[in-house]
Amino acid sequence: MNNGIKLDKRLYNFTTRCVRCAECTFGYKNAEFELFCPIYNKFNFFTYSLGGIAQLARALHEGRINLTESVMDIVYHCTNCGACAEVCAEVDFPDMMELQHEVRARCVEAGQVPFAHMAVIEGLKKDDNMMQKPKAERGKWAEGLEVKDITQEKAEVYYHAGCRYCFDEELWPAARSAVNLLKKAGIDVGIAGKDETCCGGRAFEIGYQGEFIKYAENNVEMLRTAGIKTVVTSCSDGYYAFKVLYDKIDKKGDLQVFHITEYLDRLMKEGRLRLTKSAPLTVTYHDPCHLGRKVEPWLRKEEKLEAAEIYQPPRDLLNRIPALKLIEMRRIKENAWCCGAGGGIIDAHPDFARWVASERIEEAKATGAEAIVTACPWCKRNFSDAIKESGERLKIYDIVELIEQAR
Amino acid sequence: MNIVVCIKQVFDPEAPASAYKIDAEARRVILKGVPPVLSPFDENALEAALRIKDAHQSKVTVISVGRNLSKAVLMKSLAVGADELLLLEDSAFEEMDSYTTAFTLASAIRKLGQYDLILTGREAADTNAGNVGCGIAEILGIPSITIVRKVEIDDGKVIAERVTLDGYEVIEAPLPCLITVSNELGELRYATVQQLVSSRKKPIMTWNAQQLGLDPSQMRQTRLLRLFIPQKESRCEVVGGETAEEMGANLAVKLRVAKIL
Repeated sequence: MNNGIKLDKRLYNFTTRCVRCAECTFGYKNAEFELFCPIYNKFNFFTYSLGGIAQLARALHEGRINLTESVMDIVYHCTNCGACAEVCAEVDFPDMMELQHEVRARCVEAGQVPFAHMAVIEGLKKDDNMMQKPKAERGKWAEGLEVKDITQEKAEVYYHAGCRYCFDEELWPAARSAVNLLKKAGIDVGIAGKDETCCGGRAFEIGYQGEFIKYAENNVEMLRTAGIKTVVTSCSDGYYAFKVLYDKIDKKGDLQVFHITEYLDRLMKEGRLRLTKSAPLTVTYHDPCHLGRKVEPWLRKEEKLEAAEIYQPPRDLLNRIPALKLIEMRRIKENAWCCGAGGGIIDAHPDFARWVASERIEEAKATGAEAIVTACPWCKRNFSDAIKESGERLKIYDIVELIEQAR
Repeated sequence: MNIVVCIKQVFDPEAPASAYKIDAEARRVILKGVPPVLSPFDENALEAALRIKDAHQSKVTVISVGRNLSKAVLMKSLAVGADELLLLEDSAFEEMDSYTTAFTLASAIRKLGQYDLILTGREAADTNAGNVGCGIAEILGIPSITIVRKVEIDDGKVIAERVTLDGYEVIEAPLPCLITVSNELGELRYATVQQLVSSRKKPIMTWNAQQLGLDPSQMRQTRLLRLFIPQKESRCEVVGGETAEEMGANLAVKLRVAKIL
């Protein structure tokens, strides 16, 4: 029987300051599209909320309950979207998602994790990716792309595709378009192809912090050897890993990290990229959790406020596309409803992940938009699966695909 | 055939070096966010057992001893094909040295009753002591063959290929016998998520020190005095020269001066 877990003093104090106001659970239930905690709103028990997890963590630390499979199951239902931390009015704590991360690390140390995660991590250790696919196929997405390989020649900017883009063939066009757009703008860009490895971000989120450190060290070493100082990625999870998580463990150094949206926005402002073709479409934009809300606390804490929030650049990009009309959903920016893929949910609880996505699809449909646009492959994959399952006619685009169409 | 496989739960040996911290006072390693896993050589031992089970009708019992054993992790052994899991768990099983571990496992194997073959890894991936396997054999009074890369059963005998520095030797022994297995035997087969889920139906027994008639605190033969990460310093001098030949010659001189050549 696994006993309790031990939190450090700071986190334990945080758990004692929760007054159980339950602000982290509700929105205004009588209004449509006001709720923000996916797990609480699906399962209706306080235990699934941030406050609930705080109470669980406190009880585990104080030895009042044991770390059983049921407790682990509650902890591992959270998508780690951070919406709760956004609304918590009671406790002044820089990054409340730290509680989830630490409790999960303790679960991993106790060997108490969902079987699906054990399988994913076995795959990661064997093939350096989160998709349980062979390492040798990692570079296939870039076949015929005519782009530098940073392991063979020097480049200024490293484009990190990420596990989802590399191995999910339906998503390859967006990654290929990103590289093409960067080249078109005259950027000296290179990729790592089959030598690219996972950023380690998801491993961190599901509690395997040791595994995450390995990948962080490996990536930083690869970039140092290649003389790369600038990383651009289309994956929001990857962005969060390089920008925030690597910094947290003092590995980021002076590496400049950009999401493709903020980088393209910059290029357009500098006049290096122009959009001239029309894309007559009414769209609504989904803010990925890892691109805004989850990045904020760390950057604010360290007072590194440069491009701290990536809410505006994607909107500016969309507004530049001729004939495209952007209509906002009700829950946007720091209040966005999660897509459901994060925190390992897409592997451990795929049905729940699709339910979360379907809620967002309803919100998107309510705007009257023809399409939902996002800036993360995990969001896109989860929305696509939810749309296919429900037979909805809503289209789904990666923002880069629309920009490429308008170039 | 009754096959017993002894498996140790260790912290994942693939954790990066930078993740290791030491609590000097408690003389304990702290590894954040690193999962417990089956010790890799013990996984090879389990694979050896399963290959014998594939060829001969056998029952495979996996035994593990320790504190805070993770059922979820140890159940992987059931998922890949072991028939039952025996956990020897007790708060007294802490800071166990090789002798205490070997004696405890041997006691449990005796209590199990029937056994024909005992398999262990050649050494645990955390302490790398390599004593427990042979220790169990000595205590039980059976032959042991160490560092084995292949195990076959033929007509009531075990035929093992033992790894040597320049190849291997073939050793025959009667049953019952103990074998410590090396990685050259091959990796443990994979378990699917489905197999992991259905492993819940297989029996798991738990025995404590009292049930084994043991007092581990009285058995320890070694005492851990100090645990620390040695400070490593490295200096790198790049030997210069106009040409490759000159660099080579300069390097040779430096090695001679340092009395290496």
